[in-house]
This record gives sequence, C-alpha cells and structure tokens, in this order.
Amino acid sequence: MNSKNIYLILPAFNEASVLEKVLAEVIKSGYHIVVVNDGSEDDTAKILEHFPITIINHSINLGQGAALQTGMDWAKIKDAEIVIHFDADGQHYADDVENLLKPVLDGECDLAIGSRFLNSKNAVPFFRKQILRMATFIESIFTGIKLTDAHNGLRALNKKALHSIQLSENRMAHATELISQAKRSNLRIKEVAVRVSYTNYTMQKGQGLLGGVHIIFNLLFKKITK
Amino acid sequence: MNLIQVILIIGIIVLAVSYFRWFRNTGRDLFVIAIITVIGLTFVLFPNITNRLAHILGVGRGADLIFYLCILGFCFALLALYSKIKNLERKITELTRKDALREAREVKD
Repeated sequence: MNSKNIYLILPAFNEASVLEKVLAEVIKSGYHIVVVNDGSEDDTAKILEHFPITIINHSINLGQGAALQTGMDWAKIKDAEIVIHFDADGQHYADDVENLLKPVLDGECDLAIGSRFLNSKNAVPFFRKQILRMATFIESIFTGIKLTDAHNGLRALNKKALHSIQLSENRMAHATELISQAKRSNLRIKEVAVRVSYTNYTMQKGQGLLGGVHIIFNLLFKKITK
Repeated sequence: MNLIQVILIIGIIVLAVSYFRWFRNTGRDLFVIAIITVIGLTFVLFPNITNRLAHILGVGRGADLIFYLCILGFCFALLALYSKIKNLERKITELTRKDALREAREVKD
C-alpha cells in the first residue's frame, strides 16, 4: 500500500513546546500527516508552518475527540485507506506505528489499539496505573469489550473502521465511544504493545481523576438520552 | 394570610410572567406553566392540601413532600439544561468543523 494512502492524524492543543520534535519524528514515516490545531493559543500554529503537512485549524477549542473526527473527515475526503491516531504531546513513539499498522495491513483486524500494558518495558507510574485500571473496568461496562489499556491515543483504523466510526464525544470520552461504536459495527479489534513516554509534560496533559469522573458523567448522560 | 404566603404568591406570579415574557410562548408551554402556577398557588393558599397529599403518599409533612418534589423538579431541569447545552455544543462543533475543513491547507516542502 502506498504510504500516502495512510493518514496520520495528530490533534494538537497548545503543544508548541513539544510539537516540533513530535512532527520531526512522524514525518520520517512518509505517511500523510494531518495536524488538527484545536484552537491553540500558543505558538502551535506558527510551528506547523515549517512542516510539509496538512493543517486544519479549529477556530475554537473543541476537544480531542472533535479534533480527531475532523481529521478523519479530512481523511475520508482524501479517500484514505488507513488512518492513524497519534497524540501530539510526545507520549507516543513514531517507530511503534509500524507494529500498530501490521495487523491492519495484514487484514487481521479493522481497528488496532495501542496498549501500554502489553509492553513490559513501560514503567507506568503507580497512581496512573490505578486510574487506568479503573478506567479499563468502567470502559468494559460501557462497551462490553475488555481491553488491557484505556484511553491509549495510538490507534490504526482501516477504511471500514474509518467509515463506521463517527465520534460525537468532543472531549476525552471519545476513546470509550470509539470502542463502543467499533463493537456495534462488528469491527475486529486487536491490541498491540506500544511504549508510552512519561514525562512531566505528558503527565500534566494526561487524564486526572476529575477528568475521569467527567467522562463517566458524559457517557452516562449519553446512555440515558440515547 | 401569612407573610410567607404573600412572598411565595408574588414569587410564583413573577416567575410565570417572566417565563412568558422572555422565553418560549407556545401553546404547550402556556398550558404546562399555567398548570404548574395554579398548583403552586393552590399549595401556598391551602397548605392543608399538601399535608393530606403527603399522608396519602406516606410522607410525614406537606412541606417535606414539596421539598422532595422540588428536588425531582430540579434534577429534571438540570437534565433538560444539560441536554440543551449538548445540542448547542453539537451545532458549534459542526459549524467549526465545516469551516476548518474548508480552510484546510497542505503545506509543501
């Protein structure tokens, strides 16, 4: 498959301090890079101008889920074969993308999701580990699918998955919504071991306990009003 | 008539009039708000009715019954408001996305 049929989507909100390094890495992959600048107020927009990428600007901050959906809509317009979700905060490693893509390219699954817990080399901080365990459990209640990791931003979707998923959760609840929609559309899901870089910056950007409560409330509301 | 009854009657009437002045004015709204207003005024003017109702429903006092109903009403209003906010958010998202996709650019080497 031509690597230009593969679209790597990075939702970015105020990532100026790390974005240059992240982009320099992912660009080497040769995939089509799409950055959705989600209403950033720092120098994110300026940094983007220096790279051969597609820039999509949200005029206001909508959230990561909304930014990913905008990127996926763009990929659909461009008739992409595969879409990759990649966080712009530097927590993912660009060379993990190849492993993530393999089962999708081999036709083993429609949706490949990164899991930090399948890679024993990941030193997940204790508190984060407990939050993620709880999130994995709650996610399994909402989606009926038991995964080893929750809210891992590294995913690969084939064309079928790209056209089956339509994220309406603008913020972080999109990660659970995505799994739920995948199940409803009978998509084949596979988890792939990936590394996650824990720095002060990525820890700050990650989900806290309060954010988790907000996600649960959002999902509950959606269940009630569906 | 007690002073609190006067205050509550004025409050109920002001709220009902304000709703129709500033918000929706459909026939259905008029009907629902008129019923709620009449029930509210009846409870304020004839508090014994609430006591009798409370006993029928197994609640100690009429005031307690009103309090429980208020909590229910408050939760319902909160849910309705949240739903409206979500709808608004969806419309803003659609607009922003449409605009962003139209203005998308590919930066060349």
